[in-house]
Order: sequence, then structure tokens, then C-alpha cells
Amino acid sequence: MEEKILLIEDEDIIIDLLEKKLSQEGYKVVVAKDGEEGLRKMKEMEPKPDLILLDIIMPKMGGFEVMEEMQKDPQLREIPVIIISNSGQPVELDKAKKLGAKDWLIKTEFDPKEVIEKVKRQLQK
Amino acid sequence: MRIFKKQKAKSFSIPPLTQEEDLFNFLPLPICFFDLNGKVLKINPTFEEISGYKKENILGKTIEKFFRKNEIRRIKEETLEKGSVKGRETTFFARGNKEVPISLFTLLSKNRKGEIKGVLLGFYDLTEIKKRETELKEVRTALLNILEDIEEERKKTEAEKNKTLAIITHFADGILVFDKEDRLSLLNPKVEEIFEVKSKEILNLSLSQLSKFPNFLPLLELLKKKEKELFRKELKLRENLILEVSVIPIKAKSEIIGTLVVLHDVTRKKIIERMKTEFVSIAAHQLRTPLSAIKWTLKMLLDGDLGEITEEQREFVNKAYRANERMIKLINDLLNVARIEEGRYLYKLSSLSIEPLVRKIVESLKQEAERKKIKLEFKKPKKKLPKLMLDAEKISLAIQNLVENAIKYTPAGGRVTVSLKVENKEVIFSVKDTGVGIPKEQQDRVFSKFFRGANVMRMETEGSGLGLFITKNIIEAHGGRIWFQSKEGKGTTFYFAIPFFQKVEHS
Repeated sequence: MEEKILLIEDEDIIIDLLEKKLSQEGYKVVVAKDGEEGLRKMKEMEPKPDLILLDIIMPKMGGFEVMEEMQKDPQLREIPVIIISNSGQPVELDKAKKLGAKDWLIKTEFDPKEVIEKVKRQLQK
Repeated sequence: MRIFKKQKAKSFSIPPLTQEEDLFNFLPLPICFFDLNGKVLKINPTFEEISGYKKENILGKTIEKFFRKNEIRRIKEETLEKGSVKGRETTFFARGNKEVPISLFTLLSKNRKGEIKGVLLGFYDLTEIKKRETELKEVRTALLNILEDIEEERKKTEAEKNKTLAIITHFADGILVFDKEDRLSLLNPKVEEIFEVKSKEILNLSLSQLSKFPNFLPLLELLKKKEKELFRKELKLRENLILEVSVIPIKAKSEIIGTLVVLHDVTRKKIIERMKTEFVSIAAHQLRTPLSAIKWTLKMLLDGDLGEITEEQREFVNKAYRANERMIKLINDLLNVARIEEGRYLYKLSSLSIEPLVRKIVESLKQEAERKKIKLEFKKPKKKLPKLMLDAEKISLAIQNLVENAIKYTPAGGRVTVSLKVENKEVIFSVKDTGVGIPKEQQDRVFSKFFRGANVMRMETEGSGLGLFITKNIIEAHGGRIWFQSKEGKGTTFYFAIPFFQKVEHS
């Protein structure tokens, strides 16, 4: 069965590029353009997404808040999250780790190809 | 015979003269008798002894030789006039003009008819007494001096105490002193302000009594842990009041006689710190967002993900991609500098081998070196290197900066050699190039922020002037040191050394 990825990201260009790249790799992509929409969609989705790509700084609800909410919900708690952000200070990385994030990619340090590799590796686990 | 007997009998009748004679001879005080002309008629053995002359050299001679002339004349006159002199302090001249301080007594001697027969003179030797007196005087002077010193010392102490009190009173930090029994024995007005209490309400209270004041609870909680020493422990007292607490034992000779607690208000500092962190985070985000969008788009174009492009298009896109990468590097450098200046840069340390890190960086730069027709090589260390406590990401950045610089500033046909070795319990990294070198007059500014060599500027190569500043900070944060040797036009070698057991500041 085709694996489902929920992409929560507010930057249009990044959404378009990742959506294209992920689809090319055979994943089904669901897009949410802010944290609130992301949380709502992951609650509605059945079956639940296999992986979430999550931005941190977004309108309405930020990435950290999304993860905090996910922790409260036993159905969402176990979904692996990979952070894709433009920031990446040590304190933020620590906080994300505590909230259960599997990885943190700084967008300027990685390119879409490498993101796909991370996604593949995570889903193989 | 009879006469003899008679005499003998007579001697038993205790003639008064004999008794006087015995008394005269027995007295341990020097006594002499002289007539009105001053001729000595009789002396006792003590007088003989103290004068130093033989009896025969005194008897019949004048008394005057033992005194100053005027003095003895006056004594004589006084004796004649009043019948006696009592306790006159004067000087007796013994043999060899030896001066003896004495207390002198005389008595006018008359016979039964009341005729003056001469003068009896006796004295105490005051030498010992005088000596004692001098000693006493010295002791007294010494005592006075000591007392003066003590007074001076007391004044000094008082002044010192006043000074100390003034400092404590006006100190910007809260100061609390607890005695041996953990009673609050001293506090300054800042403490009153911090805990919103009056000094008289809390002075002399014990720790447990202080717990009745709710404002004290967070501090008491900390003090209860009974750590002997605390240094700048952060304590949030209230929502808008953050303190740094230091606890220092007060020692008098190795005995602990109390505890000093210093409360430093860092609320403002914390607010500024948080704002700065937020700023850096937001700036990073804002600046990187467009850059990452460009990077990803160009990368996907180059990878053919967005359709085939011509070779010419690829060339242009590639150039744009590289320019964008430079921009990203510049932003990263600026962020790193901001964090270094915030003092919280070094982060994750773990025991690592440095060799694979160096190897990986050299490998990743091979292509760039080839493009510039530079021979880049890594010389394997002869000995196995020990593991070091490293922040892998940061130390890699430092190594990358140094090797990249070497490639950047070496003309085509040159050579860049990277090596690692062990020396004096340090791992020494070096990167040697055959590049343009650093002008001698600029060498002392190499590690300062925004420094760029004059010769390098002419080459029109890009660079922020931040790389070496960041590199130096990374090396020093690992407890290491960095240096270089350079000759303009010949080349440069950069070194850094990291000790096996380094002292590292954690942030």
C-alpha cells in the first residue's frame, strides 16, 4: 500500500517542490498550510499518515505546538515526525527531541533529494 | 690571771659598746662614721665591700672622696642643722669612679654630754632598684606604645568596619550573612527590596523561622540543599524577578563561622538574552526562508526533477546555485558570530576521533580543489590518535574553514597538505598551502572579525572575514589553541592543537 505523508509547511515553493519530489518517489502527499490545519487533518485522516514533515515557524499554530498536541493524543503520538525548518538552534533541537521528533533538517543545509533519503530511511524503520 | 679573769667576767656583762660594734659590723648596709672635718673614723665591712677599697685606705681619709664635693657639704650642713638626713638620693663614687645610685641617711652623733662627736652615714644601694625602675619604665613605655597601637588598630578596624558596612549597605546585590547556627545576622537594604520585608522583621531569625515569609521560600529551598558552595545558581523568585544566587562559606582560620549569600538580580539580563535569542532565531528564519526556496528550486532544476534543461542553462543555473550557497554560508557565519557573542555556542560534546572528521572534509573538498587545479592531500598520522571531547559539528566547521581557505587562496598548480599528529599530549592539526600568504603587517589581525588580507581583497575572491574568527572561537572553546606561519607569496600553514584532557566550558 502506498505510504502517506502529511506535509505541514507554509512556504508555497517548498510545498510545490516537495510535493512533486515525494510524488515522483511514489508517496501520497497530503498538504496542510499551517499548524492548525495540519493537526486537524492528521486527526481526520484514516488511516493515519505514516510520516509527518513539519515546519516550525508557521501562522496560527507553530510546529512545537503541533507536536505538543500530538503528544496528548495516543493515536497521533507514535507517528514519526521529521522537522524541516530554516532555523536550528541547539535549544530548539533539544526541545524537538524531547517532543519526540525523529530528525531536524535545516532547509539551507539539505536539498530535496536528501530530504527524500531521510524520509525513506525513516519509513524503513 | 686575776686580771684575765676579771676581764673575762667583764666581757660577760654585755657591754653596750661591743653590742653596737657587732651590730655595726653585722648590718648588711654600708655605714661609716666621720668627724666634723670629714675624716672617716669608722666603717663597717659592707661599706668596705661596696666602696671597693681596703679599710686602711679609708680610715683617716676624707669622706668627700666618695661623693660630689657640693653634695657632701650640703649633707653635712643639713645634718648639723636638722640632726639627720633621710633618704636622700645621690651618687656614691666607689673605687675607679664607679657611680652607685644610693639612698643616703645620716645621723648627728653626740655623746652623753651633748657634744657633737661626728656624723653617722649609711645608705641603700639603689642600683638594683634603679635598674628595676628603668625596666619598669621601659615596660611602661612599651605598654603605652602597645596601647596606642591597639587604639590605632581599633580606629582602623572601626574605619574598616564602617567602610565594609557602607559597601554592604549600598551594594547593588542582595547580601545575607548567616551565623554558625544559621541565624540571619546581617542583611542589606537590597535584600529588603528583593523579599519585600523590613530588616527588623527578619534579623536574627533562623532558617526555619524565615520560612514564615512566603517570599523567602524559593531561596530557603535552595539553601536547604546544604551545598557548601554555590556559584551563580539561577533562581526564579517571582514571575518578574530572576536571581543568581552565590553561597560562600565564611571561614576564620579553617573553621566555618557563617555563610554569605549573595543575590544578583539578572532579570533584565535574562530578558535581553531571551530577546536576542529570539532575534537571532527570527533573523535566521527570515533570511534563510528565501534562500532555501532558491536553493531547492535550483537544485531540482539541476537534478532534472523539473524537466530537461540545456547544457548552457545548466551552467547558468549552477552558477546561480553556487552564488546562493555563498549567501547561505555568509548568513550562517553571521549567525555563528551572533551566538559566539552571546556566549552559548559550544553545545554537544562527545568522545570522538578527529581523523574521520578531517578525512571526510578533505574528501568533500577534493572536487573543488581539482576544479582549481590544486593538489589536495591528507597525510595519515603516523601514530594512532586518542579520542578527544569534541562537538563534531563545530570542529568540522573549523576544519572546513581552514581547508577551504587554503584552497581558496592558493593559485592553480599549488598544493594543500592536511595532516594530524600527536605532540606533548596534544593532537595537532595543520593545513599547509603554497598560496598567497598573509602580509606581515597584517598578521596580528588575522583572527579578528571581518578581517581580510589586503592581497586577498585584490584577488576579488569572496569571503565574509568571519571564518577565522569563528574557527578560533571553536578551537578555544575546545580548550585548544590556534596559530599560523605565513610568508607573503610563499604560503601559509595554519595549526590548531587540542589537548587530550581539555578543560571545556559548557554552555
